[in-house]
Order: sequence, then structure tokens, then C-alpha cells
Amino acid sequence: MGLVSWLIALPFLTMLAVVCVPERHWRMIRWISAIGSGIHLCFTGLLTYRFWQAAMPDAAAMQTAQSTKLYFVERIPWFESLGIQYYVGVDGISVAMVILTSIIIFTGVLASWYVDTRVKEFFGLLLLLVTGVFGVFLSFDLFLFFMFYELAVLPMYLLIGIWGTGPKEYSAMKLTLMLLVGSAFVLVGFLALHHASGMHTFDLLQLGQARYTNDFQRWVFPMVFVGFGVIGALYPLHTWSPDGHSSAPTAVSMLHAGVLMKLGGYGALRIAVYLMPEGAKMWGLVFMALTTVNILYGSLGAIRQTDLKYFTAYSSVSHCGFVLFGVATLNLMGFKGAVIQMFSHGIMTGLFFGLIGMVYGRTHTRVIQEMGGLGKVMPWLATMFYIGGLASLGLPGLAGFVAETHVFLGGFFGNPWSASLATKTLTIIATMSIVVTAVYVLRGLANVFQGPITDPHFEHLSDARLPEKLSTGLLVGTLLFVGLLPFYFIDLIEPSIMPLLNRLGN
Amino acid sequence: MLMLPELLVVATALVVLVIDLFLSERTRWLTGLITLLGLLAAMAAACTNTMHGALLGGRFVVDAVAWWFDILLILAAFVTVILSMDVLNGNTRVRMRGLGARAEYYCVLLFTLAGMMFLISSRDLITFYVSLELATIPMFALAAWRRDDARSGEAGLKYVILAALSSSLIVYGMALLYGLTGQTNLDAIGRILPNHVGPAFWFAVAMLVAGAGSKFTVVPFHFWAADVYQGAPTPITAYLSVASKCVGLAFMFQVLFRIFGGWLHDGSLLVSIFAATTMTLGNTVAIVQHNIKRFMAFSAVSQAGYFLLGFLGPNEAGVAAMLFYMLVYIVTNLGVFTCIIWYQNETGREEIEDYRGLSQTNPIMALMMMVSLFSLAGIPPLSGFVGKFFLFSIASSAGYHWLVALAAVNSTVSLYYYLRVIRQMYIEPPDADARRIPITKKLAVTEAFLFAGVVILGIVPTLYESIHADTATWLATLLR
Repeated sequence: MGLVSWLIALPFLTMLAVVCVPERHWRMIRWISAIGSGIHLCFTGLLTYRFWQAAMPDAAAMQTAQSTKLYFVERIPWFESLGIQYYVGVDGISVAMVILTSIIIFTGVLASWYVDTRVKEFFGLLLLLVTGVFGVFLSFDLFLFFMFYELAVLPMYLLIGIWGTGPKEYSAMKLTLMLLVGSAFVLVGFLALHHASGMHTFDLLQLGQARYTNDFQRWVFPMVFVGFGVIGALYPLHTWSPDGHSSAPTAVSMLHAGVLMKLGGYGALRIAVYLMPEGAKMWGLVFMALTTVNILYGSLGAIRQTDLKYFTAYSSVSHCGFVLFGVATLNLMGFKGAVIQMFSHGIMTGLFFGLIGMVYGRTHTRVIQEMGGLGKVMPWLATMFYIGGLASLGLPGLAGFVAETHVFLGGFFGNPWSASLATKTLTIIATMSIVVTAVYVLRGLANVFQGPITDPHFEHLSDARLPEKLSTGLLVGTLLFVGLLPFYFIDLIEPSIMPLLNRLGN
Repeated sequence: MLMLPELLVVATALVVLVIDLFLSERTRWLTGLITLLGLLAAMAAACTNTMHGALLGGRFVVDAVAWWFDILLILAAFVTVILSMDVLNGNTRVRMRGLGARAEYYCVLLFTLAGMMFLISSRDLITFYVSLELATIPMFALAAWRRDDARSGEAGLKYVILAALSSSLIVYGMALLYGLTGQTNLDAIGRILPNHVGPAFWFAVAMLVAGAGSKFTVVPFHFWAADVYQGAPTPITAYLSVASKCVGLAFMFQVLFRIFGGWLHDGSLLVSIFAATTMTLGNTVAIVQHNIKRFMAFSAVSQAGYFLLGFLGPNEAGVAAMLFYMLVYIVTNLGVFTCIIWYQNETGREEIEDYRGLSQTNPIMALMMMVSLFSLAGIPPLSGFVGKFFLFSIASSAGYHWLVALAAVNSTVSLYYYLRVIRQMYIEPPDADARRIPITKKLAVTEAFLFAGVVILGIVPTLYESIHADTATWLATLLR
């Protein structure tokens, strides 16, 4: 078993270990989960290092490549008569996503340190979910991809339904059904791609050699893109997201907004655009317009929210809009911006939901108006919150800035297949959201942390404890790293983005 | 010995009946054991028999497909017998009244099994029809086995009337076929039929399709299912939902591939419409059910719709996909029914809401039930997903993309109602006075095996590949 398979197997093995421990040793369960995800983080570091060594010499060659190059490939025939294989590997984009997921699950486990009901089931499901996520990012066979994709969605139902708050059953059901209807369309698209290629394989790179007719791409591309768009919160199919996120327990919101929503952008880029460049050209402008609505609608929605979680959830809708907007621009800047935004938004929103969980655990309220002056009693949490907030409104020096700049530049440059006036107008409209974001982030944070302490109960609240400091510190460190030294990150992903671009033709 | 498995089943039925005469009430549980041993022997005989060939002047033929159906049917009957034993022996917390006469029960069950096994091997209109009736008529008695339960009686009566109706349609269709061709051999009829297309031919098609649809619970011929499933003793409901579905598929194979093979390609649109209505109606109606057995009845109806996708095309992969999904379906559905029977044995309840808090009162059974339900809904990486994926792939390769989309959306709808059960088990808290619910060893071992099957069949490709390899050339001889 190679490194890549270990990355998928490790959370699963951790889950098995968790399942074997009796419920009464619940302390041991959370330690096992923390150690398991800690080891995973180390493995991810190793993967990044080895990938860097292996891939950097090829970077120049990738500038003109038509097909993405995979490293550490493992393939085993599986259902041979149908051309299905176990086929995993990495390229730059998947490495970036694996780093993101690994960080989020580690901090998510730390953030769930104080879960006290049905601990075993909670960590078991969390780890199962994350197995699916890693599987999606690392598999290059469409069947395998789809298998992991649904595996990543389904544990969500129980995680929200059992440990959630508020109208949890409604939210859980809505989320699960909407995401699975999305995946149903993805499945139809995959089967159509498989049969239309006539190649008798589900291998993504091999299918990339197939020439699909324009008529075929005209209907399959939007199907797959929208299918992935559901999980990427594409307007108007985003409605599961605010409900789901606000009902979910802390770690689940973190994973969901931080990682799961990225599956949408990843799938749209990796599969829809990669396999159907002609379809992407036909539909690019339509999706650009839809995602512009996303960006504005999400940020305007966030202004009106009174619950911190709804507030963050709407801001996620807006920020995930940037990802799909970047994909729809169909140029280098836009693609790069989309991938950086996936990463930075993942970290940022993970930080947000983690912090909200920590604040809620102390104040027992999430209503913004009921809080005030919390910065005085919990300076660490307040500082972290501010850094996250500034990243989200795109302050230079933080990851959000890098991402948003790329996306907007990409949108402004446009592409030869969409009317230039239209793309420019849409970009300008989307840029307005920065102002709106600044309004809601600054106003919201000021309400919660600044001013006099509104409620006498708040005066004796404690600041962050060690696991909480560790997890928030790690997330903020990542935001700063990508924000200050973006070129490392761009070097990592750019060689893998070039083939996508070359396939579009210029 | 090509016919050995069938003969063993019949012999066991007779032996059980005779031995029963010499047993006292206390030792009568032995009849169950003998039945199991007989089925094991039949299974062993079927497994070791790798020969294909014809007997009785070509009226009885064992080929690859018949062989796989035999294995599936014996498996279904075997598990059903185990599931029945606790109930029949009175080894339950809540006694179910009116369930006596063990030996007769096993004997009748074995006769239905023999009928089913003969059906897929028969090549002659007469043996075909007789084996169909042998598979169906004893089933009426089984459905009505709970003498003093009104629902059980109602189930039996409804089943008699509607099944008799479908049998009469079938026999009418067969008579027309004989009249058209002058042949009783199915293959010969299939060969000659293309020369006799006319009103009588289409009438025969309609009769046989309606009859087959009724056996396989295809909408709009599914009406008997819900009431019969609900009223029959639960182990018989389980048996109906798998074995009778399996024999329904076998019947479809005989009729659609063997007799009307030449038209199947042109009839794809019709098949797709049946598939679409069956899965949609089954799923929609299942949403509003409260009784878990009725609920499983509609779930079974919708599953029939997915099977029909395999007839589109038609191609070899479809045969393998349908057989594989039948295997998966038998294992998964029996997995769910094991839980239902266990819960009924221990608490006497069968409403969906009665399952609340099961994850606290017996976490392992709740987990297994959840996984089986997820597999029925087609959630990866469970076998139900893989089986459905293969069927969807057939429809997609035949160009029916709209049907794949509908089927995939239907799977999501089905997930909604399976999640209703899971919600009761996992999210709702148990009653205040709820205690841990124990399980008998027999059921625990059975459920563990079925659970392993649900998980492993989807991950280990061996079984699918061997079905595929066995049946790869089967269809070529039938489709001209």
C-alpha cells in the first residue's frame, strides 16, 4: 500500500479503532481520534514534501501539457468487465485539498473535545465522513470518485440529526436530500461520459482523450456542473447550506463548510471542465452570472442575520460563489483563484465555525445582539475572530486577499468565448460584495466583541483552553502563510491547472 | 445428476412430512433442522454441479442462468427457514398465536421452492406452467398460515384471487402461443413466432406481460403486494419479498428473453415506461406508510422497477447485472427482515414508530438494520449501490439517460423514507422504560452473515465477475 492509499485508509482505521473502544472510555476515544488525525497531518506533510520533490522538475513541461500528470499512482483492477478500477494518485490540486482537509479534521477533532453525548458514534461518523472526503480528492476513477463522494455526504445526516441544535431533523433531511439529488445528476453524467467515450473505462485521464461531440457536451456539462454546484452552494440550489450549517454541531459545520462544499468546486473543475471543455465554453457565461448572484446574495443575506452561525453560513454561500465564479471564468487567473479560494475559504470558515462553537459553549447564545464586550474576557478568541474576519473581507496579507484578487482579475480578463462586456460587468458587480462583506464582518464582530459587557454573566467567562488555542492557532497560521507567501502555494497548484487551460484551447 | 438439487428439495419436503408423524410436540423442532440440512444438501449439490445439459427430452435444461437462479432461490429459502424457526418453535418473548404445524409449514415452503427451481429450468409450456403453479399455490397457504388472525386470512384470500387472475392471464397467453405456433417448446416458439405477428400475437404478448408483471410486482399489476405482505406471517413476508421476486425475475427471463427475445429491442421503450412508473409509484407510496411490513412491500415494488432497467438494450451485461442485483437484493432485504422479525419476536410491534431509540436498546442490530436500509437505498460503498450502478449503466448504454436520471432521483426519494426509519432508531430517544433488547443466537448469526454480505458483495468483485463470465454467452443464442 502506497502513501496515497494510506492517506485514505488512515481515517478509516482510526474509525475502526474508535468503534472498538467501549463507550465508557470516552476520553480514550477522543485521544485516539486526535492522534489518528495528527498522524494524518504528518502523512500529509510527507506527501507534500515528496510531491514537491517529484513534481517541481516537471513544472515547465506542464505548461503545454494536454493531460494532467499524476504522481504516486496506484491502480488495481476492480470490476474488470466494466472497466472500473481502484485508481488513486495526486496532482497539485489534490495535494492542496488534502492539506486543507487534513488541517480541518485535526482542528475539528480538537474543537469537538468537549462533546459529551454518544462520543463514540460522533467521532466514528466524523472519521467516516473524512475518509470519504480524502477518497474524493485522491481518486481518479469516476466510479471510485462517486463512491467516496456519497460516503462523504451521508454521515452528515446523523451528525446533524443527533448532535445538532435547533430544527436539526429538518435541516439534516433537507441537506442530505438536496446533496443526493445533486449527486444523482452527477451519476447520470458519469455514466453518459463513460458510454459516449466508447472506451469502456472510468479512468478520468483516459476519458480525457475521448472526443465528445458538441451536442453531447451541451447537455452533459450543465448536468454535471449543476450536480456539483449543489454541494458548492450554487445559486439557487444553496438553500440547504444556511440551515444545515446552523443546525450542525461545531466540528461538523467546520468540516462541512470547510471541506465538503469544496467537493463541488473540485468536481466542477476536475471533472466537468476537464472532460468537457466545449461545454464549459458554451455555458461559462451562464454560470458566471449565477455565481455573481451567489456572491452578492450571500453577502447581502449575511447582513440581515442575527445568529452567528447563519451569519457565517451566508458568508460561506458568498465565498463559495467565488470558487465557482473562478471556475466559470475559464482562464488561468480564474482557475488559480478558484483553487486558492477553496483552500483559503476552507481554512477561514473552519476557523469561524470553530470559534463560534467555542464562544457558544461559553455564552450559550449565538444571537449577535445579545452579546457584547466579549473581547475583554476572551481576548484570544476575539483576536482570532478578527483575523478570520479580516481574511474574509480580503485584507492583504491574508489568504482571502490572494484568492479574491485572482478571481476578480480572472473575471475581468474574461475569455474568448464569452462576451467581454458581459464578463466585465459581472465582475464589477461581484466586486461590490467586498464592500458589503466589510460591512457585515466589521459590524458583526464589533457587536460581539467590542463595547461594554452587556450581560453580567459574561464577566466570568474564560478564554480559550489549550486544545482550542492549538486549533485556532494552526488555522490562523495557515491563513497567514498563504497570505504572506502565496507563491509557494501557487507553485504547488499551477502546473496542475495548466492542462485544464490547455484543453480549452486558445 | 442435473436435477439433483430439485429432487433433494422435494425429497426433504416428503421426509419432513413423514418424520413429523413420529415426533412428539417437544421434539418437533427437529423438523426445522432436517429442512435446513436438506437445503444445505441441495445447495451443495447445486454448487458442485458444474455441468449444463438437458433432461426429459429437452423439457428440463440447466444452463448458466438457471444454475445461478437455483443458488439464489436455495439461499433465500435457507435463510427464511432459519428466520421462521424461532417463531414456529414459540421461542419468542411475545407469542404469536396460531402459528403451529411446523412440519407442514416447512413442507409447503419446500414445495414452493421446488416449483421455483423447476420454473427457470423448464423449456416446455406445460412444465413451465405447472412449475409456476407449484411455486404459487402453496404460497397462498403460507400467507394465510396464522389461522386466527383476520389479516392473515385476508392476505391469503387476496393473494389467491389476484394470483389466480394473473395465472389465468398467463395460461391464456400460452394457449394463444400454442395456437399460433403449434409448438410447446419455448425455444421453438421463440424461433417460429416472428412468422406469426398479428392481432393474436399481440394479445398473447399483453396477457403474458400482465401475468409476468403481476408476479414481479410491476406497476400497475402490483396491487396484491401491500396487503399480502402486511398480513402474512413475517418470515413469509420475507420469503415473498425475496424468493417470489426472484422467481418473478426468472419468469420475466423466460418470457421476455426466450419467447419474445426478438422484440425486446423494439420493446425497450415499453420496458422503460414500466420501469419508470414502477419505481416512481413504489417510492411515492412508501413515503406515507406507517407499518413496516407495508413499507417494505412498497420498497420491494420500487426495487422491481430498478430490475427492469436490465432488460433495456438488451445485452449480456444486463443479464449479469440483474442476477447480481438479485443476489444483493436477497441478502440486503433479508438483512432488513431479520431485524423486523427479531423486533417483532421480542416486542410484538411492527409500526415504524415502534423502532424509536433502537440504537440505544440494541446498538448492533440498529447498526445492521441501518446499513441494510442504506444498501437498499443504494448508498456506496454498500452492495446495493454497486448493483444499482450496474443496472443504471445498462440503461445509460441503451441511451435511456432520462430513465437513469429518474432512477437516480428515485433512489434519493427512497433514501428519504429509509431515513425515516433510521431517524426513529438513531435520533428519537427510546421510551423511558426501555431496556436492552436481547437477541437469540440463531438470529444474531444470520444477521451477521447477511450484514457481511451486504458490505462485502459491493467491495469484492469476484462474485459479480463470475456471474458475468458465466452468463456472457447466454443471451447470444436467444436474441436473433
